[in-house]
Amino acid sequence: MALLDMKGLTKNYQLGKVIVRALRGLDLQIDKGEIVAVMGPSGSGKSTLMHILGALDVPTEGKAFINGKDLQQLKEAELVVLRGQTVGFVFQTFSLIPTLSAQRNVELPMIFQGVGKKERAKKASALLAGVGLADRTHHKPNELSGGERQRVAIARALANDPEIILADEPTGNLDSESGEAVLSLLKGLAKKDGKTVILVTHDPEAAEIADRIIRLRDGCIDTRKPKGSLNREGESYA
Amino acid sequence: MRKFWDFLQLAGQSILHRRMRSWLTVIGVFIGITAVVGLMSIGYSFDKTIKEQVSGVFGVDTFIVMDESTFGPGAHNGGGATEYALDLDLLKSIEGVKVAAAVRERTGFVQGQPKADGTVLQGFLPVSGLSPELMTEFESFTGKLEVLPGGRLFEPGDIDVAVLDFEISQRLGVTVGDTILVAGDGDAELNLTIIGIMAPPEAAKEDSGSGFGMQFSGGSDGDTISVPYETMDLLWGPADDVLITLVRTEPNYNVDEVADAAEKALNDRGSEISAITYTDISETIGTMTGIISAFLAGIAGISLLVGAVGVMNTMFTSVLERTKEIGVMKAVGAKNSHIWTIFLIESGLMGLVGGIVGSAAGVGLSSLGILLINRLTTGFEVVSVINPLLIIETLFGSFLLGAVAGLWPAWRASKLPVVDALRYE
Ligand SMILES: Nc1ncnc2c1ncn2[C@@H]1O[C@H](COP(=O)(O)OP(=O)(O)O)[C@@H](O)[C@H]1O
Ligand SMILES: [Mg+2]
Repeated sequence: MALLDMKGLTKNYQLGKVIVRALRGLDLQIDKGEIVAVMGPSGSGKSTLMHILGALDVPTEGKAFINGKDLQQLKEAELVVLRGQTVGFVFQTFSLIPTLSAQRNVELPMIFQGVGKKERAKKASALLAGVGLADRTHHKPNELSGGERQRVAIARALANDPEIILADEPTGNLDSESGEAVLSLLKGLAKKDGKTVILVTHDPEAAEIADRIIRLRDGCIDTRKPKGSLNREGESYA
Repeated sequence: MRKFWDFLQLAGQSILHRRMRSWLTVIGVFIGITAVVGLMSIGYSFDKTIKEQVSGVFGVDTFIVMDESTFGPGAHNGGGATEYALDLDLLKSIEGVKVAAAVRERTGFVQGQPKADGTVLQGFLPVSGLSPELMTEFESFTGKLEVLPGGRLFEPGDIDVAVLDFEISQRLGVTVGDTILVAGDGDAELNLTIIGIMAPPEAAKEDSGSGFGMQFSGGSDGDTISVPYETMDLLWGPADDVLITLVRTEPNYNVDEVADAAEKALNDRGSEISAITYTDISETIGTMTGIISAFLAGIAGISLLVGAVGVMNTMFTSVLERTKEIGVMKAVGAKNSHIWTIFLIESGLMGLVGGIVGSAAGVGLSSLGILLINRLTTGFEVVSVINPLLIIETLFGSFLLGAVAGLWPAWRASKLPVVDALRYE
């Protein structure tokens, strides 16, 4: 079974009397070690999909298996464990805790898992060094550039050694240079560390680091050939 | 529990981050705490001071016997002692009683010495019977009784003698060595030799320490004829007009037990009395000062309520402001209970800081208040006492106050759905 296995995924939101159908019967399988880029226009359901992949939300209908576990069968406590240990999230808006230093932000997921103080500090320092921020550990988020913040966020996502890294438009708020640094970090995670990376992006160049590109459109996978550039075959899942 | 310290740190950092608002919230709590601690400390100091004075008078081995309606629950007469019947010899015979001294009082017909022109001054005057032991053993109660030079106070065995207040001795025109006639019930009458004249109030050095001292004779009216307690028996028969009895117990006897035994024995004999020990009095004082300070603190407590609402308001604002942060924490693996705990600690901390500052300010306030009270009053020095228990309770209570005020906001924070919180801008 694939690491991530989605079958007939449907997600509806109730907005007053209107039902918003964010995902409409989506099938998707992602294997261990893959880098997958998710593309599609705004509102096509990319974030909604990522939230389900990250066990932050459950589908209205359909099946979502993460690492063989059926999301709908899991209790809240088990979902918390998945979030804490199996997936690491990177958000477009960095989403660091503004009151905490880079070091403490990276330690945060480990605090919730009850990792001891010494071990935590060591791990966080190593992770920050790994994203090239060894000299920024005591800086607060507002003392860091956008690119640096996003690298802290990546370090944080890696804190509990998750198998899956979910990055929702991680370069969306970055200039191209910082964006590239972030992308190469993500690529390294998959290629060197064998992590599964799923990356939402609007940038075709960013998508180039992916093994596979999935296009969303109105909550479904868009199987039409893209109009342009990417000359790779089988880039979307049939 | 290891997480608690981490959460404490997280909460602390969050408070420090919003320094201005946190301080304003803390001020809301601290004003209330200051008022409560200040008033309670003043009450406590009064309590301590009064009890110390009373215990200075009583010592550890003394009790007093009073009419049962005068003291304790059901006391109905306003201050003045009610007369009661007493068998002093029975009281003295009770095991553990070392000395007993009583005071009884009557109005009697008194006749002075015929003057040179043959006139005789006479009239109805208050006659007090005093046990000689009163002067020798119970000076802490009576204050220092002094007679003018040339006279003396009663001694054991004295019968037909009297000590006169200064004023009445002047009016009767008598002095030491003269005799007066006192008539009792029926045709009982005695010629009493005057052995002493009480020093007039101005001359008697008002001993400043005798704030609690009881004035038995030579009081403000100044026209009392004092006679030995036994002499009263001869004039008016067995005592049914006793105002107060003082009893000292033997060492190694429990004063409360002896007092209980005495009370029972005397009441079985037809008296209607209560034996009051220091324990009884200090309990009564404690109850009174307790009620007063609880009442004052209760009023001050209303301002605590306002402080608590302030904490709640700040916490709601904080939760709203940090919705996204809460979403992020949950996305990286925080349990609902973690979020809840962090916010509770945060609001509890604000309460605690308010408690610390408020306790310090409250202690300062009470010291200042007592200083002022001592400046404005004389003859009664209140000792400023800090009750460590009160401070500890206050610190606990203020943390609890903050935490309770934060319960609802923290619960709201913990229940936020992750995805909604993440999407919140
Ligand atoms: N909590 C929500 N309540 C109502 N509608 C929502 C909610 N979240 C997302 N949506 C809707 O679902 C659709 C998909 O949203 P989203 O997954 O965020 O798209 P994308 O990330 O591709 O821009 C949008 O139309 C959005 O308005
Ligand atoms: Mg999105």
